[in-house]
Amino acid sequence: MSNDFYTSSILPHAGIIIKICRAYTDNQEDFEDYYQEVCFQIWRSRDNFNNQSKWSTWIYRLSVNVCLTLLKTKKKKGITLSESQAVDIPEEAHTGFSDELLKQLYEAIRQLSEIDRAVILLYLEEKSYQEISEIIGTNANNIGVRIKRIKERLKKLLDGKVN
Amino acid sequence: MEKSIENIWKDGFLKGEALVAPKVNDLYNRKSLHIIDKFMKLFKINIWAIIGFSTALFIWAYFINALLAGSIILVMMLYVSFTAYREMKALGNIDKGQNSLSYLSSFKTWIESSIERYGRMYRIVYPGLILCFYFGLWFSDIFIEIREIVAKNPSEMLWGVHIYSTIVILISAIIMSVFSKAIHRQDVQSVYGGILGKLNEALAEMKELQE
Repeated sequence: MSNDFYTSSILPHAGIIIKICRAYTDNQEDFEDYYQEVCFQIWRSRDNFNNQSKWSTWIYRLSVNVCLTLLKTKKKKGITLSESQAVDIPEEAHTGFSDELLKQLYEAIRQLSEIDRAVILLYLEEKSYQEISEIIGTNANNIGVRIKRIKERLKKLLDGKVN
Repeated sequence: MEKSIENIWKDGFLKGEALVAPKVNDLYNRKSLHIIDKFMKLFKINIWAIIGFSTALFIWAYFINALLAGSIILVMMLYVSFTAYREMKALGNIDKGQNSLSYLSSFKTWIESSIERYGRMYRIVYPGLILCFYFGLWFSDIFIEIREIVAKNPSEMLWGVHIYSTIVILISAIIMSVFSKAIHRQDVQSVYGGILGKLNEALAEMKELQE
């Protein structure tokens, strides 16, 4: 992958890649691995991009798919969340965030199902229902209901944490 | 007032450090490993295909009464497979700790020297195969009728084989022996062409970046 490709085609979307990777990992090492793998897969699959969707939409979709695949591989290898959490990493480095509320929100997001995580991330990134459904591959009509349900769940999880 | 999740999200990411991208300097290593992994996978499949094909041929040779030719072909192909296995082991020994450019360059050197070694081996294997196929088939049960037809003209026969077709086969065997390296290179290109193209592309890209 040339630096040009990374700078011009990936870096402008690094924010969403970071946010997605954070939602599927619970430590800095995994996060960096996932981020690198997503970048690598974007570079590797760039010829498959066929202009039918926006480049950014394609990147979101690919990022979610790569994270889901990596998560499955991790599960297959038998690495559970509790095992990885057992590694003694300072709290700050562990989550990557200094903002306490954001940290709690991410912890709550990580408790959602894999698909719900992708949906809420895209919603929080202000993607339209149509775009979310395109990226996730579901019916746009169901997205609104699903988001409402996820937000309620997140609220409950956050309230539990705060109180 | 309690913050909504939308606001937590927006405000949380206003702080720059939350969106610092990790370095991606490992990408070339991943790319190199990917190319070589893919090559090794294909290489393994190729070895098993050779073993499978020659075993099937041996069984067929048994049924058509060409066991000697079938055995020679099987032994030769097993030798080819064993050599390929050793080559693959040597490929596995390439130091993965070196930088990507050196790693891929070592891989390229390995391919070139491997084609060189195989070329020498095929100088004997190619003509051996073509002769075994020819004589095996000629003396097999499925060629009984052809042998009888040709035998009607004894002037064209020598030691039980048809002189002219044998001369053609011998010339072909010699040509294959002489051009064994070129034929093998073509063979490699047809099987691994895609990966080798990517390898050359990656090497060119890395060299360009180094300049």
